[in-house]
Amino acid sequence: MALRQTPLTCSGHTRPVVDLAFSGITPYGYFLISACKDGKPMLRQGDTGDWIGTFLGHKGAVWGATLNKDATKAATAAADFTAKVWDAVSGDELMTLAHKHIVKTVDFTQDSNYLLTGGQDKLLRIYDLNKPEAEPKEISGHTSGIKKALWCSEDKQILSADDKTVRLWDQATMTEVKSLNFNMSVSSMEYIPEGEILVITYGRSIAFHSAVSLDPIKSFEAPATINSASLHPEKEFLVAGGEDFKLYKYDYNSGEELESYKGHFGPIHCVRFSPDGELYASGSEDGTLRLWQTVVGKTYGLWKCVLPEEDSGELAKPKISFPETTEEELEEIASENSDSIYSSTPEVKA
Amino acid sequence: MQTPLTIPVPVLRLPRGPDGSSRGFAPDGRRALLKPEVPEIQESPVVQESLESQEQRARAILRERYLRSLLAMAGRQVSFTLHEGVHVTAHFGATDLDVANFYVSQLQTPIGVQAEALLRCSDIIAYTFKP
Repeated sequence: MALRQTPLTCSGHTRPVVDLAFSGITPYGYFLISACKDGKPMLRQGDTGDWIGTFLGHKGAVWGATLNKDATKAATAAADFTAKVWDAVSGDELMTLAHKHIVKTVDFTQDSNYLLTGGQDKLLRIYDLNKPEAEPKEISGHTSGIKKALWCSEDKQILSADDKTVRLWDQATMTEVKSLNFNMSVSSMEYIPEGEILVITYGRSIAFHSAVSLDPIKSFEAPATINSASLHPEKEFLVAGGEDFKLYKYDYNSGEELESYKGHFGPIHCVRFSPDGELYASGSEDGTLRLWQTVVGKTYGLWKCVLPEEDSGELAKPKISFPETTEEELEEIASENSDSIYSSTPEVKA
Repeated sequence: MQTPLTIPVPVLRLPRGPDGSSRGFAPDGRRALLKPEVPEIQESPVVQESLESQEQRARAILRERYLRSLLAMAGRQVSFTLHEGVHVTAHFGATDLDVANFYVSQLQTPIGVQAEALLRCSDIIAYTFKP
């Protein structure tokens, strides 16, 4: 009896989810932050999707969100012309960094000492988080709004994407080292430190480049416009999602499409693998985040495989079951925000 | 899309959503120990958590951290210090429920490499790995 993917829907946002990021693996597990147009980014436990808290303070849509490696700090980029740094344990706002236009992207260095920001003012800014009052270092050169900026090469270089270019900068000299030009709008960028790989999506293409030389490695075409893609930590798979509301999983080596999933009710804006590669998360225009298993049927997080032997001879049926539940019904259950799936009306003893 | 006979992967429950009344970051959450201790001088009718339940909570948190360290170790190269000054390295696989045995592979011993092995916890003095 084959098993099919049960995505876990994380509700709570009321507007489109436009960005998401995982932390590294910490002694407390790993964590997930989501950026939403409702201005209220949320922190969740990474392996279960359980809500931990909401960062309150932004006065506009939050376009970018990130966590530092040990998930002690969070940073967000918003349409209120600020980037904010938060204590990810208490939820308190630590710093507000004023910008001159909408901020779209934020990224911590490995040691969490510096924050990189970028946005519609076309400038890359580097803030020293130990000296928040000091003016940030500014790098100019982009000719259109910056969509994504990432530290790379052990934080010695910066990768940034605007509408039609991806540029590599040297941090120390603040000069451009190399650039790539595209005919179509670049929709997303992901940097994989192990192996120095850059994942870029534009149009229906998912392209892989060397993060050091920007030379192309390979690229795949998807059936629809792709907004975001992510490469598995072991580089066996990649996942991508976009305008047709579907998530695609490909074999990285052969380019073969392995699986595709419907489930979201709107375009997918962001997709990322967890740091242990066991699941991937997608954020959509429909306001939800969904968690998907990399290996369908494996016991991990909230997914629990019930084997036929454990059921004493009966056909493997889910014990806490939604065997006939459609996606829509799962949606309804999820939106009730309650733990108990079955309503526990106490029995009245006459 | 026609689906052949398949059943959805069972789940224990759905992810918990926001509670609607607060911004979260529960003060007694799993990362509570990371926050600096705030001395409670002024608060009067605060029910002091009994020493016992404080200790129990700390035990639970430490146990969870230990279990997560085992998870992080899976598949990695680990160096074990055994009795009589013996050091071996191996790829860590798993432990059993009581953490009485460590299942390892490619165990490098002074007398050769063992493809699969069980190390008894009582034989291990210490182990170390880089995540």
